Amino acid sequence: MSEQKMVKLLIDGQDVVVPDGTLVVEAAKLLGTQIPVYCYHPKMDPAGLCRICLVEIEKTPKLQIACATRVTEGMVVHTMSPKVAEARRGVLEFLLLNHPLDCPICDKGGECDLQDFTMEYGPASSRLTEPKLHKPKRVDLGPTIVLDEERCILCRRCTRFDDEIAQERNLVVVERGHGSLIGTVDGGDYESYFSGNTTEICPVGALTSKAYRFRARPWDLGHADSVCTQCSVGCNYRIDTRFGRIMRTFTRENPEVDGGWICDRGRYTFNYLYEPARLRRPLVRRDGDLEEATFAEAVALAAEKLQTAAAAGRVGVIGGGRQSDEEAFALQRFAREVLRTDNIDHRARLQKFASPARFGARIADIDDASLILVFGAITPEQAPILDLRIRRAVARGKARLVFVGPFKPEFAVPFEHVEYAAGAIGDLMESLADAVTRGSQTGNQFVDQLAQTFTQASKIVAVHNGRNTVAAGALERLMETLAGKDHQVGILVVGSQGNARGAEAAGCVPNLGPGYAPVSKPGMTTGEMLEAAASGKLDALYIAGANPALTYPDGALVRKALENVPFLVVADQLLTQTAAHADVVFAAASFAEKRGHVTNLEGRRQAFAQAIESPVHVATDAAILAAIAAALGKPDALSSDPDWLFARLEAAEQAAGTEEPLARPKLDQLASPQVDTMDAQRKTFTVIPVPKLYGGGSAAAHDPGLAPMRPQPCAIFHEDDALLLGIADGRAVTLAGRGGSITVAARIDSRAPVGGVLVIADMPEAPVNVLLDASGAGRVTVTPAAAREEATA
Amino acid sequence: MTPARRARGLELVARYPEAQSALIPFLQYCQEQDGYVTHQAIEDAAEVVGITPGEVESIASFYTLLFKEPAGKHIVQVCRTLSCMLRGAEDLQTHIKRRLGIGHFETSADGQFYYEEVECLAACDRAPCLQHNLEYHYDVTPAAFDALLDAWQAQPPQPAMPAE
Amino acid sequence: MARFEPVLTAGIGELDLADIDVYERNGGFAGLKKALLEMTPDSVAAEVTASNLRGRGGAGFPTGRKWSFLPKDGRTRYLVCNCDEAEPGTFKDRMLLEKTPLQIIEGLVISAYAMGAAQAYIYIRGEFLEGSRIFRRALAAAIARNYVGERILGTNFSLDIVVHRGAGAYICGEETAQLESLEGKRGEPRLKPPFPAIAGLYGMPTVVNNVETLGYVKHIIERGAAWFAAIGPEKSPGPKIMSVSGHVRKPGNYEVPLGIRARELIEEYGGGLLQGRKLKAFQPGGASSAALFEEDLDVAIDFDSLAAKRTMLGSGGFVVMDDTACMVNCAMTLTRFFEHESCGQCTPCREGGQWVARMVARLEAGEGSREDLRVLGVINNTITGTNLCPLGDSIMPFLSSVMRRFPEEFAAHVAQGGCPLKQTAGVA
Repeated sequence: MSEQKMVKLLIDGQDVVVPDGTLVVEAAKLLGTQIPVYCYHPKMDPAGLCRICLVEIEKTPKLQIACATRVTEGMVVHTMSPKVAEARRGVLEFLLLNHPLDCPICDKGGECDLQDFTMEYGPASSRLTEPKLHKPKRVDLGPTIVLDEERCILCRRCTRFDDEIAQERNLVVVERGHGSLIGTVDGGDYESYFSGNTTEICPVGALTSKAYRFRARPWDLGHADSVCTQCSVGCNYRIDTRFGRIMRTFTRENPEVDGGWICDRGRYTFNYLYEPARLRRPLVRRDGDLEEATFAEAVALAAEKLQTAAAAGRVGVIGGGRQSDEEAFALQRFAREVLRTDNIDHRARLQKFASPARFGARIADIDDASLILVFGAITPEQAPILDLRIRRAVARGKARLVFVGPFKPEFAVPFEHVEYAAGAIGDLMESLADAVTRGSQTGNQFVDQLAQTFTQASKIVAVHNGRNTVAAGALERLMETLAGKDHQVGILVVGSQGNARGAEAAGCVPNLGPGYAPVSKPGMTTGEMLEAAASGKLDALYIAGANPALTYPDGALVRKALENVPFLVVADQLLTQTAAHADVVFAAASFAEKRGHVTNLEGRRQAFAQAIESPVHVATDAAILAAIAAALGKPDALSSDPDWLFARLEAAEQAAGTEEPLARPKLDQLASPQVDTMDAQRKTFTVIPVPKLYGGGSAAAHDPGLAPMRPQPCAIFHEDDALLLGIADGRAVTLAGRGGSITVAARIDSRAPVGGVLVIADMPEAPVNVLLDASGAGRVTVTPAAAREEATA
Repeated sequence: MTPARRARGLELVARYPEAQSALIPFLQYCQEQDGYVTHQAIEDAAEVVGITPGEVESIASFYTLLFKEPAGKHIVQVCRTLSCMLRGAEDLQTHIKRRLGIGHFETSADGQFYYEEVECLAACDRAPCLQHNLEYHYDVTPAAFDALLDAWQAQPPQPAMPAE
Repeated sequence: MARFEPVLTAGIGELDLADIDVYERNGGFAGLKKALLEMTPDSVAAEVTASNLRGRGGAGFPTGRKWSFLPKDGRTRYLVCNCDEAEPGTFKDRMLLEKTPLQIIEGLVISAYAMGAAQAYIYIRGEFLEGSRIFRRALAAAIARNYVGERILGTNFSLDIVVHRGAGAYICGEETAQLESLEGKRGEPRLKPPFPAIAGLYGMPTVVNNVETLGYVKHIIERGAAWFAAIGPEKSPGPKIMSVSGHVRKPGNYEVPLGIRARELIEEYGGGLLQGRKLKAFQPGGASSAALFEEDLDVAIDFDSLAAKRTMLGSGGFVVMDDTACMVNCAMTLTRFFEHESCGQCTPCREGGQWVARMVARLEAGEGSREDLRVLGVINNTITGTNLCPLGDSIMPFLSSVMRRFPEEFAAHVAQGGCPLKQTAGVA
């Protein structure tokens, strides 16, 4: 590491020493001196447009913009001289000239930089003696944003965000001069997973969120520092409430995790809590129908049935991936100490493990990676803010992005696609590991080229979805070889649920306790529990915050299991497809209605505070379990107090002495996935489920804010196959597999592999899991739907 | 995108080290064919040079010789800057607007004529001047304009904004 | 007084210099041959530096010094010829483009040779359609005779010239905006530093030179730096094509030695004022220049003398206004020009420029107030010197100068609700 050259300069008579290359505006911040800025944003390149940061620098004749001037040794800067004051007043006068007098109705009032700087530096009155010029107001910019062109000061932070950070370049400046406007091509929607960030960085009320428009004033809001749980990145954010109701969320920068951003799914998923679909009371099945019950009734019934099943050793617990660390700990403790079973598993999807055994990377490692390898995980859909980092690294020319998989996803930056069949990823990684470890040519051009790419990269970060143990093992072997040759390496596993890693670490797996401590007699995995339930070998199931009916690959098995199991308890926020089968449904509290910790994909544990009270008959998962435990005569086994649980969790981890290599969760006793060769005859097609950010059966299906962004269920074919099948884009088709069928609209896209069909995962209207087996593989026949059979949705 | 258009696009891209430099020449080519920059042309340009349609729109809307809407078969642009104003441009403008029946930035009802007052055309020694479909006409008096108008209406159709 | 012997404009109007045979017969490519066959690139550059040639596009920066900023780091170098002439009152570059394109090509080749550029672009204003066609034909002819292209005249020097047309934006005459436009983007000026010599076209070392400047490079090589430097003032030497227009009998392009008096330019070259008129004001260097008046007729026309008078030579767009010209109307025309051509990036130019244009338009229409005059009198402080590029700084000079010199004319527009000239004479 070379010595950083330091520079000393004088700002308003005070010495400050900063690294060479620092911008004057940043140097001033260190002294607590505010230089007002609009277009400047620390995460983006200086633009020098608004001119409000003009300062006086001795020995230069004209005022200079602090946002784009770098410090020099001995520089003397004045930020509060009369010349500077006049320049600021001038810029503010110009900005206010045609600015509409909207403050009373503008959402930004109270947190507006134009208001604040005008109060501090601006003219007291206007010298405009004619009507203000008008521009389009209330422009519907898409599903999340309203744009007011009159309020816009054309600082371009939003368009530069879309360019430099999101790399999407759909939000642009059109026209020129005073007639410049923020817009999109042909006035179409500004569609981006990150659109909400523009409402925060907009210094004025030009860009406002539809979800928050006219709802509150910033000084009315209460704040809770929280962590987003919609995916496993764990962006830090703040939940703002008014009179006990969530009004909006706001970023809370953690440079190590989110870099100051949050995706729209995280930002806007909260209004579902106020929808009728949200469970507000426990439900108990009487005479075939689920009816509202009291908490006590539900607890009593659950305790009675679970006790019987537990006594016979025929009970199972599924869940933990959507709970807090404390609650995941409570869940496995409930299973092991209250129900006396090791049948506990958080995995309700295809993911087998939520952490790399070795070489765990940090998110920030992506920033200076030279090679980013992604397989299985579709980062733009499953970990958007992680994907922003990848975009930045690639766009800045530092990193190469390689995606290995059966189809070509949409990344926002250029990448290499190594096309490989879904089940064959294990073989590929093995060959790759061999090629790199032994320096041998495998004879496979792909593999050899890829191996070369690896050996030439100084820092490699691999991101995958934890589904294929062979691939993961081979990857670790590969990383070990490279680490031995002085490459920097790291692995990130994108969690299938927000707190998958936390659940895994807390012991929600059949063979490991908290801290990855091995258990003497491993219990059943999710798949084994479902098999047992389906074949009458399990008498009760407790499912918390998981929806295997929609998400577990073998949909037919899940349905049979849920129908056959004599007693099913589900704790959730909404009546999911799984909960619909239950005998007892507990109304569970959401992330905003409790406090605790969650663990992100790095293994970073982060605390979150409670933002609002849950409705009266809604209880946290911990409280539900504690109540049942008490009813089962074990009141000391659990507690609803997060601190109590956390202390015991930490103690258990301490005792386990967790360190790499992390132990591996137990795998299903099932046949390993077959390498899926495409049917040359094309009588059947390989189903490839693809995740979409706004897919899902719980919050995403019920939140009004997300409704406009909800994907349409569809089946995507390659144009060659569409031709063969005789289907046109938009035609309804029926995909029929081993466990059922779905009817959806067909789409044609060259990104789909020949012989395969991409189906959006987790859509209740057209659940792909009825087409798959337990290993996640599935083949379907494709027939155009009968004319009267409409494609669902 | 028609094969001919794509071929032209590739030709233009080949002239420069970076593809995006071909954007404006390509849009001018499309505009010559269609009479203005159509939505299809925006999509085509985005594909040819490898940027988003939003970027194409942003860039195209910056330039006054790229038209977002059909302008007319005859694009009449009259200079309104200092030297021409000193030599009678205002009178000429008034006369033209009356003769054509349209104002600044307007197209005649039959879609034939488009009138615009533009900035200095670098013909200040022969003021007032105008351009008709990018062709210069100098020392234009109201009478001279009337003669030109007759001549334009008599001539065979030609692209309003030729590309090269 | 003896007319100055034309240099760059020699033969224009008499010979068809766009025809390569005619051009060759009349001294064409002599400079190119001398430079490429007898001189090294460094000696060519040294000659240009020694001549004290200053850019003829408007900024007047010493050309040799600009070339010397190119770093010796082995990166690809580009030369861009700026033919985006749009400064009001200037029409010399279009004349050169249409009448003597081969001379421009010759200057381009010599300059590219001097600075080690193998790729050059000529950015031609979009409105100059005919000129671009003439230039393309001339370029084809020059390539056919190996004056441009691979291994020129058998030497190791190769140069490719790409013709690129603009699409209507005055601001693309500013060098960094031109580079942005050449890269296929909005023609919006960049922050400087970095300067184009370090990070120009595609981020590579680039020099942008005006058409006329490159033309003089040819003559400097042919006749020597000493010849050039001896014409006119020491720090601002050489001939310059002045575009004279407005209220003169003989508007036109006149190649004059820098240092001549304004009076001489108007009377000897421009043919003097129109019958029975008196001089009211003149703009020596385009729309951005402050006006000068009758008492300034003996000012020397060169970069430094005009700068000392708080105006500028600029591009040499010399506009004469007589006593029939309303200063408010002239100011309205020019402030409207800057509002229309503002790229819109920075606040003072975009918002302030629009405000100024509106106020002056209202004054011109007789709807102005004394408050408007007051504001226009002080707005200079916040609108000038605070912008990203020189366009914003160009909005006020003419207006301020004529407000200072003819306050009663502006006041009369307010008091009488209209233009006194229009109201008395009934004509514009």
